[in-house]
Amino acid sequence: MIRASNLSVRLSGKPVLHGVGIEAKAGQLTAIVGPNGSGKTTSLKAIAGELPYEGTVSINGHDISRLKPWQLALKRAVLPQSTVISFPFTIREIVGMGLSVGTRTADGKNDEIVKSALEAVDLSGFAGRLYQELSGGEQQRVQLARALCQIWDPLRDGEPAFLLLDEPVSSLDIRHQLTIMRLARDFCRRGGGVVAIMHDLNLTAMFADRMIMMKAGRVQAAGAPNEVMTDAMVEKVFGCAMRVNTTPHEPVPFVLPHTALG
Amino acid sequence: MPPSEMAIEQGRLRAHAARLKAGWRGGDRSLLAQVLLLALLLLAAMVFSGSIMTGAADASLGNVVRWLLGMAGADQALSVRDRIIILDIRLPRAILGFLVGASLAVSGAVMQGLFRNPLADPGLVGVSSGAGLGAVLMIVLGSSFFGPLFALFGFYALPVAAFLGGLATTLLLYRIATRGGQTSVATMLLAGIALGALAGAATGVLVFMADDKQLRDLTFWGLGSLAGANWTKILSAGPIILLSLSVVPFLARGLNALTLGEATAFHMGISVQRLKNTAIVSVAASTGASVAVSGGIGFVGIVVPHVLRLVIGPDHRYLLPASALLGGTLLIFADMVARTLVSPAELPIGIITAFAGAPFFLWVLLRGRTHMGI
Repeated sequence: MIRASNLSVRLSGKPVLHGVGIEAKAGQLTAIVGPNGSGKTTSLKAIAGELPYEGTVSINGHDISRLKPWQLALKRAVLPQSTVISFPFTIREIVGMGLSVGTRTADGKNDEIVKSALEAVDLSGFAGRLYQELSGGEQQRVQLARALCQIWDPLRDGEPAFLLLDEPVSSLDIRHQLTIMRLARDFCRRGGGVVAIMHDLNLTAMFADRMIMMKAGRVQAAGAPNEVMTDAMVEKVFGCAMRVNTTPHEPVPFVLPHTALG
Repeated sequence: MPPSEMAIEQGRLRAHAARLKAGWRGGDRSLLAQVLLLALLLLAAMVFSGSIMTGAADASLGNVVRWLLGMAGADQALSVRDRIIILDIRLPRAILGFLVGASLAVSGAVMQGLFRNPLADPGLVGVSSGAGLGAVLMIVLGSSFFGPLFALFGFYALPVAAFLGGLATTLLLYRIATRGGQTSVATMLLAGIALGALAGAATGVLVFMADDKQLRDLTFWGLGSLAGANWTKILSAGPIILLSLSVVPFLARGLNALTLGEATAFHMGISVQRLKNTAIVSVAASTGASVAVSGGIGFVGIVVPHVLRLVIGPDHRYLLPASALLGGTLLIFADMVARTLVSPAELPIGIITAFAGAPFFLWVLLRGRTHMGI
């Protein structure tokens, strides 16, 4: 599991996170939600190990500050919000870069893994295209396939691997939003763990096992979506009064922006 | 068809052509790259032996080979003359040409990977000028101020000084142009111009201070030429160039990951800081050594990697060795042109590469300005 405790981060001298605690278990999809500028991305970057922070972050009991970059790369893969590339790589080449990191398989298998990863993000047949020709949403899915290749086996030698996703579905159409969320849930079912920053509360409630609500650099609430997503909490965190409803069969909470007051 | 529609149509055709090329073997261009590497190796061997056989004087390679193999040639006197022309003039010149060309092209490719921009080049962004300043500093003030350095490094003093000059410029440039892992192209090019001008001005002051003998040295050196190639120059610059080139294969995977951004490269398991340090030192060392022995030879570092990317794509595992082969071959070829165009006189090779490279560079700019972030 990933455990970040008492996490504080300053960006160019300004405190952005104030003692944040985040836990993400293997087998679970943990979603971080909150308004813009609440510290979601900063938290994810600290957990990924790319920012200096105070406090401790551990993956499966290993303090990440003691792990070398290549060791970390075997335990977690990261999907950034967007990736700009100035060289004309093909999709096959970019996704294959994920492979060369940790997935050490015989040569014959690499092609198969790249193919399956592209299938998983619904981009079969795109292998020969150039990255620059793709739309923003397609590029985002290519990057997800690349990250997937890096930790293709969610349970490597019995140790769970984690996908850290920064807004994985915000630039996608509704069908691909569902494709990617199902992919994430499937990764959890196979023993891995997912931490995702989300903006869509309804998708989050549908797919997340745990929901962490952040505001102004602090965690406001954490728990199962139907515990956390309440009228009071949504108003407190997002500053937007609206009614939270639940679906009829399994009680999954949802909000309609139409119900917002003011 | 109105011009705007024609432009769109042309763009569509180009995209289609690129798709066809990239679609080869499902986007995996590694076999293509391997075939190209083999072809480049053959081409290099051909141009290399061609350059040894051609020149102002008529010297037969066959005679020299026969002499080397211990077979008695028909005319002993002719063989001795041939031997000197080929073994002491043309052979070192071809070897130095190949080393310098390979080093310039690979430095360009590494720098472009490091700055994640196809327009970065040691010559363009002032690194060569910085290396030049180091070299001139050594020529003019060497005997009076850097006596101990001379004593310590012997004939390595000049390349080492050029290396330090290039290193200082590269580090400064990186500091100025890169903020929070993002390199601004405009800042990089403009800072490169400023740093180059500064190094040029300092070089000017030193030339002003130089005495007659030093001025002669400077003039010979600054022309950008392989004319002074000899075994001593190969011994002084060769090891530095070979050493920095031998590090480069270990950078390939990291440079590939770096094209996705510094953070992503780190996520993928690359020690980004170490990668950057190694890349900067190796670019500065090979540029410095090349500048020290051949002066300023421009545009090889930008043209060669660009042409190769069009054919085999940007994968550094193939791009770097292919750049070394094509850069070396091109420079030997350019030197042949320089030697034979106005034979028996010689053009400085820098003129040839600039005449061929500058228009190409402009073409690249016009063609790619939409998706190169400039």
